[in-house]
Amino acid sequence: MNVPFVGQVPSDIVVSWIASALIGLFVLWWLTKYNKWPVIWEYIRTTHHRKIGTMYILVAIIFFIRGGMDALFIRTQLAVPENDFWVFQSQKYNEVFTTHGTVMIFFVAMPLLIGLMNVAVPLQIGANDLAFPYLNAVSFWLFVAGGFIFNMAFFFNAAPNAGWTAYAPLSTDTFTTGPNNNYYIFGLQVSGLGTILTAINMIVTIFRLRAPGMKLNHMPLFPWATLLTSFLILIAFPVLTIALLLLTFDRYYGTSFFIGEMGDPVYWQHLFWIFGHPEVYILILPAFGIFSDIISTFSRKKVYGYTSMVIAIAIIGLLGFMVWAHHMFTVGLGPLANSVFAITTMLIAVPTGIKIFNWLFTMRNGVVRIRTPMLFALGFIPTFVIGGVTGVMLAVAAADYQYHDSYFVVAHFHYTMIGGTILGAFAGIYYWYPKMTGKVLDEKLGRWHFWLFLIGFHLTFMPQHFAGLNGMPRRVYTYSWEDGIFLLNFISTVGAFLMGASMLFVAWNLYKTHRLTDPVGGDPWDGRTLEWSVGSPSPEHPFEPVNQVDRLDAFWHAKVKGEEVPKAEDARPSPIAVKTLQPVILSIILVFMSIGFIYHWISLQVLGGAAVIAYLIIRSITDERKEVYEKEEEG
Amino acid sequence: MRIFSLLSLFLLTGCNLRVLNPKSDTADKITNLIYLSFGLMMLVFVVVMILFVHFLKKYKETPERLNEIPGDGKESKRLEVTWTVLPILLLAVLAVPTVKATYDMTSQVSGDGGEAKAEDAITIDVVGRQYNWEFTYENGKKSVNELVLPVNQKADFKLTSEDVIHSFWVPKLSGKIDVLPGEETRLSFTPREAGVYQGKCAEFCGAEHTQMRFETKVVSQAEFQQWLKNGVEEEGE
Amino acid sequence: MKQTSDVLFQDKKMGFFLYLIVEAIMFAVLFATYIIFTPASQGPDPSEVYKWKTVVLTSVFLLSSSGTLLIAEKGLEKGNRTKIAAGLIATFVLGAIFMVLEIHEFYKYVHEGYSITVNNFLSSFYVLVGLHASHVAFGLGWMILLMVQFKQKIPQRLFIEKHKIFNYYWHFVDAIWVLIILIVYVPYLF
Ligand code: HEM
Ligand SMILES: [Cu+2]
Ligand SMILES: [Cu+2]
Repeated sequence: MNVPFVGQVPSDIVVSWIASALIGLFVLWWLTKYNKWPVIWEYIRTTHHRKIGTMYILVAIIFFIRGGMDALFIRTQLAVPENDFWVFQSQKYNEVFTTHGTVMIFFVAMPLLIGLMNVAVPLQIGANDLAFPYLNAVSFWLFVAGGFIFNMAFFFNAAPNAGWTAYAPLSTDTFTTGPNNNYYIFGLQVSGLGTILTAINMIVTIFRLRAPGMKLNHMPLFPWATLLTSFLILIAFPVLTIALLLLTFDRYYGTSFFIGEMGDPVYWQHLFWIFGHPEVYILILPAFGIFSDIISTFSRKKVYGYTSMVIAIAIIGLLGFMVWAHHMFTVGLGPLANSVFAITTMLIAVPTGIKIFNWLFTMRNGVVRIRTPMLFALGFIPTFVIGGVTGVMLAVAAADYQYHDSYFVVAHFHYTMIGGTILGAFAGIYYWYPKMTGKVLDEKLGRWHFWLFLIGFHLTFMPQHFAGLNGMPRRVYTYSWEDGIFLLNFISTVGAFLMGASMLFVAWNLYKTHRLTDPVGGDPWDGRTLEWSVGSPSPEHPFEPVNQVDRLDAFWHAKVKGEEVPKAEDARPSPIAVKTLQPVILSIILVFMSIGFIYHWISLQVLGGAAVIAYLIIRSITDERKEVYEKEEEG
Repeated sequence: MRIFSLLSLFLLTGCNLRVLNPKSDTADKITNLIYLSFGLMMLVFVVVMILFVHFLKKYKETPERLNEIPGDGKESKRLEVTWTVLPILLLAVLAVPTVKATYDMTSQVSGDGGEAKAEDAITIDVVGRQYNWEFTYENGKKSVNELVLPVNQKADFKLTSEDVIHSFWVPKLSGKIDVLPGEETRLSFTPREAGVYQGKCAEFCGAEHTQMRFETKVVSQAEFQQWLKNGVEEEGE
Repeated sequence: MKQTSDVLFQDKKMGFFLYLIVEAIMFAVLFATYIIFTPASQGPDPSEVYKWKTVVLTSVFLLSSSGTLLIAEKGLEKGNRTKIAAGLIATFVLGAIFMVLEIHEFYKYVHEGYSITVNNFLSSFYVLVGLHASHVAFGLGWMILLMVQFKQKIPQRLFIEKHKIFNYYWHFVDAIWVLIILIVYVPYLF
């Protein structure tokens, strides 16, 4: 399409600009009409864990729409053989699946889980906030900045195009020139830093802010999962940071770590997967935690095998670092390496299996109440088991020579990531929605959402196993009639649209719930853990005074006896909340600085760097501890 | 249930799927492994599903049990040990043939393990580049995107790339092997049935990765010799 | 009720230590990169490039700066302001001399034709040692800020807290330098 002043621009981009502008205008109008600006002003300065958690989830959902639209473009292009849908062929298609994958992993799945952690973990352990509220706001805004940078690429017709794995040498500037993959690097660097800071925050919170008397083994399983996940983040993400740094040097400063005679493209794969495989456990473990809490609550029973559940998470986390080369079976690392990694990978199935059986036996002898959150948990079990068993099949190194990089793999990881992470996030959102907003989402619409989503999901991804076995490689934008995969792909596309349709029920549900239903009390699900002992939505200082806890599910046991959870005499001081614009400003600075790097504008890089230093200085001298310590010294 | 009916439906068509319908010794081995692992895993899946459906039916909330508080019950060490040990055994059953096949196949597939070249094997140099495949035969004959192999004779491939990473894949004849710049990887198999088979690049390699396909023709020994000669003569002309 | 400043400092200390783990992993990956690519298959060998004099000289300054920082720490404990000031200033001066020497070293290498793009050994050397140097530079800036805050009227406990966190950082950066000596320089110098 020919745009005045700009020149030739692909029509999808023109459409997106226009659509975004219209939506933007509508949002502005809406905010003004309903007088929402004060709310926005409140939220962008907040450091409160519930508000930040809610914002994480909201922003993640916006990115989910983006990634979902990409998925639908992919599926439409692949609906029939030799298709030419709109612009989505060749490089455009590559951009779409790269964006889809990266957005879904880093800007949907991660923030959905981190958002839920923010909302629930402090409440579940009886803390008034995270250990570092200010830092938490910084983490959130870094995530927003990273997501913004990454998503901006598309609007400037420069979406990354080397896959979410950015394999070298394709991702070096010799083979993918232009700013495209620079967006990938800086989007991930900025949001990655935010993730690391969140992990630190969560660990300190869980170690140091538990209610008096609450030992680690009195915690519900979601905080446990959060704790162990945070350690995985702590170890895995720095590896990605350095891998991206080295790639930056290759792309910007003429080094050749991953390319050329001296360089080693396989080294990139090692680094990427040393990060990447733990990353997939980072995505699944919190979901496990959510399911554990939900299944226990809705079976009215303590979770079965609590200790082995915790140990299983820990073992999964540990093994998660020893399996990365199962993504590289076909690289030619040799039979020894392939065998070792095949076996470690298979071993992960054992603790995972333990968890599955523990969930099942939590339901045994219980009263299984099928509400929407539980429905998602129930849908998760068979779905995830399918993803798990195909995982073991993939671990058979020799057999992976056939599966690798085919649609079989695409099917497998969607079974785990949608069947695990996304169902978990949905379950968690339905479950903790009252804690975020004070209302329970509508059951009937929730069921519609669940069934459509689940059926759509299986329709989409079950056939992909067979497409893969019939020789369909992943990351291809078309196929021929002779390939014999038309029907499979067609069903898959139909399923994808069903999943899309199911999300409309979420929108309708949100609308209906907020328009038509009344607020609920603190404990709408007959819960077991501390978050249900405080009001809905959770107050700014939920535990004042703090509880004294001496067992698992303390709230439940108090409730059964008709008592309150006892209060503690001697509690530690709570973290200091502030209202500040600094994190937002930092994220804006980083966006500009990243643009400086992406387009090689050195002056903007320098300016950005200086601004970051100025930010750090201002942050240090406006430290919120100053006032508190002053008071203490006076007193 | 839904999943089951879907599964069986697809399994019926399964016999036509390329990977499950192999035409070479290596691919046979892989297919057997796939069936073995699939069988074992179905066992797990079925067990889980039976428990799942059973517990769900039995312990679903009913109007009579609305306010029942079931109590936590006793946990059984025996059960926990069972579902730890049985999967380990199951995986051991799978791991042994996995390691064996991996060694069998990989020593031919890559590296120097299979240096002792079988007398009667033909060697083909493969170069992958954006976006085509070039095959060079022992007599110097070159062909692009067309791989011709004699039936029942072992074919050894030495693969390398001129630019980015590609991956060589003929689903009916063998698994993949990556094709790396600046390095040589190996693959070998013996096709056992004449025919035309699809070959594909299975590592995303840029804009036209999708189009980086080739055709594999497995022909009789005589036809193959004929074809080999033809090429060289053409080149000489 | 426990003393607020004390508890919050313990939180911060734990958080900062976790952050140092993150940094340690980043450096570990760069060390691995260096080991993998050194010596490179072509271009200059590390033994041609490194001069043991510079290494010893820079090390003396940086490592002794960890010592002078101990003086400041003593001062913190005893509430002795002169010691704090003297320790900080000495540390700053030593660190700054290290920085100058380091920049000089890089500058010299580049002039001798050993720039970052020459081979993979030099690339990984510059990225690793450069990242360390940027940490030292950052630490120098941090010290200036700390000295300004020392002059200002901020609550004593807050200053102690900030100072201690800085100490951890500086010692960490020093420890990395020791590893750099052992892994980067020593195998090719002696
Ligand atoms: C909403 C429904 C979804 C549909 C219909 C869908 C569809 C697809 C398809 C067809 C591909 C393959 C593209 C190709 O190889 O050419 C793909 C790739 C991928 N998807 Fe999804 N997807 C969905 C949701 C998700 C979610 C929720 C996640 C993660 C949490 C995810 C993560 C990925 C990743 C990582 C890739 C690989 C991208 C790459 O190859 O670089 N997807 N998706
Ligand atoms: Cu993995
Ligand atoms: Cu390709």
